[in-house]
Amino acid sequence: MSATLIGQRLTRVDGRLKVMGQATYAAEFARPKLAYGVLVQSTIANGRVTKIDISTAKSAPGVIAILTRENAPQFKPYPDDLTKKGAPGEDRVPLQDAEIHYAGQHLGIVVAESFEQAVHATSLVRVTYQPQPPVVMLDDERVQKNAIWPERFIGRESLQVKRGDINAALATAAHKIDVVYSTPVENHNPIETYSTTAEWEAPDRLLIHEATRGIKQLQRIIANVFGLPRENVHIICPFIGGAFGSKGFQWSHTVLAAAAAKLVQRPVKLTFTRPQMFDSAGQRARTEQRFSIGADKNGKLMALRHATTTHCSPVSEYTEPCGNMSRMLYSCPNVEVSHRLVRLNLTTPCPMRAPGEAPGVFALESALDELANETGLDPVEFRLRNYADIDEYENRPWSSKKLRECYERGAKKFDWSKRTRKAGSLRGADGSQIGFGMATAIYPAGQQKAGATAILNKDGTVTVRSATHEIGTGTYTAMSQFAADTLGIPIEKIRFELGDSQFPEAPNNGGSWLTSSVAPAVMGACRELKKKVVDLGESWPNDPAQLANLLARSGQEQIQAEFISEPNKEEREKFSFFSYGAVFVEVHVDPLGQVRVKRVILILPNTTWRCTRTHRNLTSISSTS
Amino acid sequence: MNPFSYSRVADPGEAVHTLAGKPQGKFLGGGTNLIDLMKMGVETPNELVDINRLPLTQIEELPDKGVRIGALARNSDVAEHELIKTRYPVLSLALLSGASPQLRNMATVGGNLLQRTRCYYFYDPAFPACNKRKPGSGCGALDGYNRIHAILGQSDQCIATHPSDMCVALAALDAVVRVRGPKGEREISFGNFHRLPGNTPERDTNLAPDELIVSVDLPAISFAARSHYLKVRDRASYAFALVSVAAALDLDSNKVKAARVALGGVAHKPWRAHKVETEINGKSADENTFRAAAEAELAAAKGYKYNSFKIELAKRAIVCALSTVAAMA
Repeated sequence: MSATLIGQRLTRVDGRLKVMGQATYAAEFARPKLAYGVLVQSTIANGRVTKIDISTAKSAPGVIAILTRENAPQFKPYPDDLTKKGAPGEDRVPLQDAEIHYAGQHLGIVVAESFEQAVHATSLVRVTYQPQPPVVMLDDERVQKNAIWPERFIGRESLQVKRGDINAALATAAHKIDVVYSTPVENHNPIETYSTTAEWEAPDRLLIHEATRGIKQLQRIIANVFGLPRENVHIICPFIGGAFGSKGFQWSHTVLAAAAAKLVQRPVKLTFTRPQMFDSAGQRARTEQRFSIGADKNGKLMALRHATTTHCSPVSEYTEPCGNMSRMLYSCPNVEVSHRLVRLNLTTPCPMRAPGEAPGVFALESALDELANETGLDPVEFRLRNYADIDEYENRPWSSKKLRECYERGAKKFDWSKRTRKAGSLRGADGSQIGFGMATAIYPAGQQKAGATAILNKDGTVTVRSATHEIGTGTYTAMSQFAADTLGIPIEKIRFELGDSQFPEAPNNGGSWLTSSVAPAVMGACRELKKKVVDLGESWPNDPAQLANLLARSGQEQIQAEFISEPNKEEREKFSFFSYGAVFVEVHVDPLGQVRVKRVILILPNTTWRCTRTHRNLTSISSTS
Repeated sequence: MNPFSYSRVADPGEAVHTLAGKPQGKFLGGGTNLIDLMKMGVETPNELVDINRLPLTQIEELPDKGVRIGALARNSDVAEHELIKTRYPVLSLALLSGASPQLRNMATVGGNLLQRTRCYYFYDPAFPACNKRKPGSGCGALDGYNRIHAILGQSDQCIATHPSDMCVALAALDAVVRVRGPKGEREISFGNFHRLPGNTPERDTNLAPDELIVSVDLPAISFAARSHYLKVRDRASYAFALVSVAAALDLDSNKVKAARVALGGVAHKPWRAHKVETEINGKSADENTFRAAAEAELAAAKGYKYNSFKIELAKRAIVCALSTVAAMA
């Protein structure tokens, strides 16, 4: 088989399982003698617990045990690198102190024979508090004076950047604006809520079925907390019902489920209710972003200040990095990007879909439009005049950048030049105000270290494994495609397996780097497998039947090859890697203030799609009105 | 959820008998709101009597050309029924603008009348103050986040709103609620069914605890075929109304002969806009007339920190809904 599978319209290899209800999600694994855990949560947002009275609850029907601070074991802390330097997830292990940092904080877990019994018993737990006034608003003076200026985003990109002389440039700018944009708290709410089923297979061996997009990280977290060798913690997660940034990092529910399982000596399942998705494991923080931007009389940006205020919780210093794209998206000699963090008594923020980029680029692009309007320039023209030919922050070239052509194609397709430019000049038949707008899309093109194993089986099929994740985006299918292409055998002869901590290392699923990280490992392992076969003195046949014969002749049960792929460090230091696009929209606002997006055109650079079916689904929005 | 006993009954008499003298018991219809509230710990009945098998699902024409809708008719079935779609489109539209298809398939007409406010302070028992949930405990919404709250007819005890879309249409249509209690049947006019909060916000309706809704009767209104339901909300689907308007007009060339207007999302009960009706009567059906009437209706409105926008929104929605109806052929 010589034709490549990449770019073909394939159906999902796991599609049938999913539509038949046979794809097993974390909460659906039947375990013997399963007991059900339900969280006891704080109903105040700040203060201390003075007493947890479980006397009524513990004698409620079906209750097996109740775990609170009173009877909790001493947990070891989470790994250092996951709690310092603004890393996401909480830095506080549960049940070790009486402090309350936000409403909904986990104070214990009730374990019962049925979920309903556990829920009822939980309602009978009486918690007494010594409350303190909570601080929940960004502009609260009590936290303003103690604001934090975080240095780096998860120990990586700088969050406080200065280039040139911003004040001097603003003072002399021909056109300038000073605007503030705010974005609300956003909650991850995939269809599948968090779920953990923990069971101790031996006093020092723990098996966990959890909806997680950080299998290897969770293994490390739990091993640390319970003081176990890492290989004694086994995490399984073959399917994730959506994440959007949730289901990674360290949250207390996994620890509580595992500790409860130890206490009752049975498997314990803890599944979040829908309301718990809002208070128990992460959210995107509220942001307030102030822009002072100045341009010269020709519309060339001279000064760009992007000052973000956002919040963390008392138990993490994770920062929503709104200003990171402002460092380099446009050419500008004088730039100041800052992030200020206040501690609020709110659920701990963490990454959510395009952390920083989503609220940050929204605000930057809105501000640019306001400045374009001020200068009298067309927003596309304004962006072209400030096109960044190199990454001016890192002072290095782009790996590739075809943004100019995205603007051009988008403007043409949208009939941008034919629109009426004057703001507020267009009205629909129903009295709606009609607006046309455009914006630049940008996202880092990341890559991480990843490993994979490829195994030639007796029947001529090939099994490929990596501890990566399927959040619904098609990992099973994509990796099967890469393997089949590399090996030159039909995709039906590939079995790609993921979601098991015993498989080779793969990064957390996030940052849009899954395919760019895991595919090289999969292809590498397949190439290594081919080499091993060639080393046996055979050539690599493309016919799976001959593969089976070959293995039989070799006298081996199977042939296995491994590969670890790492980003090309030299290239990564030489170039800046980003993906770009341009979006054009038509929006109507009716006299009742109802906003309706009538038309969206998203232009991405011409590129190879690994599956045209996915591409078609993605791009079909452009024809929706 | 508290433990409770469950039984199923086969006829309305048995239903009423089963719960007679048991104020802690509740009838279970579609359960789309009651079960939620039980899960949240807001409702804690010790006994549920399942009435889903009672023969109360009919949608039928009455001798006076009105329509009787059985208390157990599902919202979807009512919305799609030919009699409703042709004679009372406002009701069909109101139903279809509510909830989601799955919920509408379950929710019953009787249950819809009895659904409870979505005031955050009522719905979450972690908030200590709610006069509706715990009489005398105060109102968390008054000085809290009150964006979805009432601007008309509220009291300093409660500023919650009634969440139903269907009931707004029923208020405009002068529906009659037929109920059955231990002493027999009685009729409650729609305007008297739901209550304003006053000093007893814990009581949403004038239905006695031991009474069962058996049907909702719609009177014959010739011009109800010319009607519309406008719902303004934060999302285009699956969201409660910030403000809604049910409107029907009887026009003589361009003059208003009669009007029926009710508002949702603004008060503790579906708000019949009598002032609008009186104000536009006999006048020409145009934007100026409608705006003046809307001003009159909302003259007594009172907003709070986060919901004052509703006053202007309600005025514009009234104008918009009436203009839509006036433009109908």
